[in-house]
Amino acid sequence: MNKYTVKDYKSSAKPIWCPGCGDYGVLNSLYKAFEQLQIPPHKAAVISGIGCSGRLSGYMNTYGFNGVHGRVLPVATGVKMANLENTVIAVGGDGDGFSIGGGHIMHAARKNIDITYIVMDNGIYGLTKGQASPTTPLGIPTKTTYYGNVGTTFNPIRTLIAYKASFVARIFSANIKHSVDIIAQAIEHKGFSFINALSPCVTFRGKDQYDYFRNKSMIIPDDYDPTDEVKAFDYANNEDTLELGIIYKQNRPTYDEVLDTVRIKAKKEGVPSKLGLLHDFEV
Amino acid sequence: MARNNIVLGIAGSGGDGIITAGDLLMKAASHDGLFVFMMKSFGPQIRGGESSIRLRMSENPVATQGDKLDILVVLNWKDFPRFKLELLLEDDVVIVSDSADKFPEEDIPIEKSKMKNWYKIPMAEIAQESSGTTQSKNIVMLGIIAELFNLPKEALKEIIKIRFAKKSQEVIDSNINAINAGQNYIKNSFTKKDSLEFAYEKQTPKLVMEGNEAIAYGAMYAGLDFFAGYPITPSSEIMQWIGRFLPKYGGTIIQMEDEIASINAIIGASFAGKKSMTATSGPGISLMNEGLGLASITELPIVVINVQRGGPSTGLPTKTEQSDLMQAIWGSHGDSPKVVIAPSDVEDCFDSTVLAFYIAEKYQIPVIVLSDGFIGTRKESVDPTRFKDEHYGFKKTNQRLTPTKIELVDYKRFKYSIDGISPVSYPGIEGGEHQTAGIEHDEYGRPSSDVDVHRDMTIKRHAKFKAIKEEFNFDRFYGPDDAEIGIVAWGSTKGAVKEAVMKANASGIKVQAIIPQIIYPFLVKPFINFIKTKKNIMIVEMAYSGPFAKYLKGFIDFGKYGVKTFPYRIPGGAPFTVEEILNKIKEVAKEK
Repeated sequence: MNKYTVKDYKSSAKPIWCPGCGDYGVLNSLYKAFEQLQIPPHKAAVISGIGCSGRLSGYMNTYGFNGVHGRVLPVATGVKMANLENTVIAVGGDGDGFSIGGGHIMHAARKNIDITYIVMDNGIYGLTKGQASPTTPLGIPTKTTYYGNVGTTFNPIRTLIAYKASFVARIFSANIKHSVDIIAQAIEHKGFSFINALSPCVTFRGKDQYDYFRNKSMIIPDDYDPTDEVKAFDYANNEDTLELGIIYKQNRPTYDEVLDTVRIKAKKEGVPSKLGLLHDFEV
Repeated sequence: MARNNIVLGIAGSGGDGIITAGDLLMKAASHDGLFVFMMKSFGPQIRGGESSIRLRMSENPVATQGDKLDILVVLNWKDFPRFKLELLLEDDVVIVSDSADKFPEEDIPIEKSKMKNWYKIPMAEIAQESSGTTQSKNIVMLGIIAELFNLPKEALKEIIKIRFAKKSQEVIDSNINAINAGQNYIKNSFTKKDSLEFAYEKQTPKLVMEGNEAIAYGAMYAGLDFFAGYPITPSSEIMQWIGRFLPKYGGTIIQMEDEIASINAIIGASFAGKKSMTATSGPGISLMNEGLGLASITELPIVVINVQRGGPSTGLPTKTEQSDLMQAIWGSHGDSPKVVIAPSDVEDCFDSTVLAFYIAEKYQIPVIVLSDGFIGTRKESVDPTRFKDEHYGFKKTNQRLTPTKIELVDYKRFKYSIDGISPVSYPGIEGGEHQTAGIEHDEYGRPSSDVDVHRDMTIKRHAKFKAIKEEFNFDRFYGPDDAEIGIVAWGSTKGAVKEAVMKANASGIKVQAIIPQIIYPFLVKPFINFIKTKKNIMIVEMAYSGPFAKYLKGFIDFGKYGVKTFPYRIPGGAPFTVEEILNKIKEVAKEK
């Protein structure tokens, strides 16, 4: 029998997202993935940024940290590296992750920090009521792009593969069963795992966004080999279809594993007492 | 005339090996037990360009770099003019230069009267003859001045053996030959030594530290677990030193992608229960300001080192200034309490960092250690006996307050308390799960935008200041209590102020100086006790806009106590000289 069930991961706070928000699906999938993996709530930390999705950490009965806009990955890096026993989940939206926080992704990815980063992507700034984000489609009007969005839409999957993120996946918030499976695999993956969660904003992108994602997405066939980088780029480059599942995967040493080899090297040269460090200042 | 305290400067091009030469001589002096104080100065160039060192060597402890040079050694006159304000000369200065240097004498920016004692010695030629290359000119020069002025000769050779121990015997031999060649030239060419003769009794060898190293060492001593940072001049040595030693103890060091990432990473590590720190300079602090506010509202202990440089923007990266004071105190947006501590010399860099961790962990508050390039990159002798557990043990062992089993039953991470301190759990503690948030929150950590919650929480976070003010006092006074002239200064200006105060009192002008270590929160009551005994107070700082004077006046109505203030503020670059401060004291002494 399971020690922990979904209700053990739910905090007393009730979500204040709009009815129909895709983030409910992501949250429910996360609860179930935690249950599936039987993660002790006191050994998990959910780190969030700013945006509608940033509220998510407050709905988890784990340790939670809601930081400033765009800095979820540096905080998560600190939490994980401070204590490797913690399961660390970073969550945020497309604005938090790809706009203000965009510079941090490549470093968490290349260092292969052993955390899971879920971006709830709705292609709009919801919390501030409807401004353009990096994943807003070209040409559509928003509050800050009155005559239509001008910047080309950002392709997170292609970028994350290029960054050598060791686990790159896409889920659709409405497909809970599939999302639970992918999130669980991402958490179990040793290294940096990135999930782009298609998570509709019914308020500022309209109910159509569900149909759009539903029509455009397809679940990756079972015989697909995610370690094939060329195929992964093919998927990423084909913007007519949004493949759901693990698009790219690679096994390589995590930051903490490499750092451990550094520690061993350092210790080989001797470990003085803290006061004994004074010898370093002898002439 | 025999002297036991001399100031020597060496100037030239980057490729001349001036820093190496200065370093060897400084170490030789320390080896013989002398007290040293060494500054390096560069242009912003990575390689080449101009460089200089100034080295004070003394039988007795020294607090400053010494105002003026007794000996000036120039390997390349064309580079000297850039240092004319940094290398001021005594009237009877002795100059030593390479006779092969054809720089026109009339272009040298030194008064003729100071060019009487000038040794022109064929340094490059001696180097070429003795070792087949002019590259050893800097080492030959050491032999020359060691013989000429009786500097630590044998120790120089010892230091060369230690310094090049890992290289071949050939390298050691050729360097010692170069020293000998320089010495022999002087012995054979001059019948007697220069009238300026350095004379001292050997003592036990001294330890030598840079301020940045002392901060790194202090952090290690205080139990640092986690360091994240981004390189920036003049603070990088802190990260570099920590990178050598922290991994030995299983700690974590991460070079982040920028300063924003660095501060957020240490906040994350602190949230996970670890003693965490970052180090940067002014531009980095500008980027960290949002993060400092986050640490303040999440009440997470972090230590942030700011080794100040000069000017806004890129400014003067390799030089010093005290112009980040207001940014440290009021830097982040919103009411965001943080503590600011200022070290005043190299040893104090160690003390201040240990204290910073103690305050940060106990009061769950970000602490900024406001050092500067002058302290950070200079080398000073330190007293090895002061680094003892009995001096620091209580601070080292302090841990943050964690919740008891009873408190975990209905755990309130941000529980109201008189001193503002609430028990803090971290991932791994069962029952201590909570959300920590940069958004305003209630006692449980739940987001709240209620006005009363914000008011109560803001007051709670500031209550820590009251407790800190009760725990600490001022303890750095120089000069007699009954002096009517007072000086208030902070940070690295201490050395010059202290020496000026000693000289003023010796000459019959009574002056007392106070140098606070904890800058913010401001310890108002003890400060009032100080000013009550004074009539005129000088406020000394190396920041042209005078932030320290304005800061003090924000807390203290000097006029109410019948005290007149004399702000003395200069733009940074070169540190204060003792003479500058002494002259100001004399001016103030004329006031009624």
